[in-house]
Amino acid sequence: MADGPRLSHTSAMILQAVGIGHIYGYTVMEVTGLASGTVYPALRRLERDRLIRSQWERQSIADAALRPARRYYKLTPSGEAAVEASRKRYPLLAKLASKEQVQDV
Amino acid sequence: MKSELPQYLILRAASLLAPSDQRAEWLAGWQSELWYIPRRGATRFCLGAFQDALWLRRNDPSPVERSGLHLVSPLSCLAFLAALAVAISLIAVRMPGPQLGPRPTHLSARDLPGGSIGMLLLSGLALPAIRLAIGPGANRCPIPWPGRLRRGIFLALKIALLQPILFGGFVVVLPILSVPIANLGSIASWTLAFRWVLIDQQRRCPVCLRLLTEPVRIGSASQTFLEWYGAESTCSRGHGLLHISEMPASYSAKPEWLRLGDSWRSLFGSACPSSDAAGVRQR
Repeated sequence: MADGPRLSHTSAMILQAVGIGHIYGYTVMEVTGLASGTVYPALRRLERDRLIRSQWERQSIADAALRPARRYYKLTPSGEAAVEASRKRYPLLAKLASKEQVQDV
Repeated sequence: MKSELPQYLILRAASLLAPSDQRAEWLAGWQSELWYIPRRGATRFCLGAFQDALWLRRNDPSPVERSGLHLVSPLSCLAFLAALAVAISLIAVRMPGPQLGPRPTHLSARDLPGGSIGMLLLSGLALPAIRLAIGPGANRCPIPWPGRLRRGIFLALKIALLQPILFGGFVVVLPILSVPIANLGSIASWTLAFRWVLIDQQRRCPVCLRLLTEPVRIGSASQTFLEWYGAESTCSRGHGLLHISEMPASYSAKPEWLRLGDSWRSLFGSACPSSDAAGVRQR
């Protein structure tokens, strides 16, 4: 498929959120307004489809910040292509705020 | 926020839905995320864990490999059932029977065949209903009578070995539980046992009767209109592939058995008997 895999609006929104820097499940929930029961299964599905990959952050980083280690998500190259394709399909996705924009507000 | 008791209990309850080998990591992930959630929305956040755990359970790729029971070959399956039947029968004979008169009645070894035959007759009544509830079997290519006979004998032996297990189990629980609860329990255990027998039969290679392995996901739900999607399992000896559609459509209502020719044999183990030797014609 030339345009990459076709995603539902919800999946595209979550993928877009990860792509603009919301790399934790909870921050994806915050920026998209979706419930945890939607976001976490969707993240697993996107990881299964190899559009994102997840990793636990290093325990030493978490220990230094006196907090538990978190699982974070990053786009894979095919995920980046899927984001590009879904932006064409869902132009409003570009309005999702990046992490830096959220912090500025 | 730090994990508090109600949220902790919700996550623990939801974790029971997750596959056991992934449960610890799943729970650690949710508990670490909970730490960052404001107290106000924590319970709502935790309730989403049920959907996540259910998703993980439904998309567990290899339940057969993770079951811990090595019942892949038909002989090991029958040996396991036979050992279980002997063990439960021995326990049933040694247990005190139900208090029917002034003294408890004991089950003797001579009662076992009669009880098992009774169970078999009752199972015969329940079997068509369970078969109907499970759905259609796989569309298999024509199998000559020796192959069909072998499959039939295997199925009959599994059903026969289940009878002493179910009857012995009923006798064992009867003194512990009240009669109505024991009856309900025995009906439930029949249903589950026969469901397992039929599903196990469907998941076996029609040629060598070994359990099909290495399930992989094919297609995606968003393309159902164009092609089927579901799981494909392989016979470890290279006799064929079983396609099970996740959402049956008019063109994929039944699981589809795709037999592999002998040219595929080099990709599998050398101990692979040919389909022709096993009495299966090539399509």
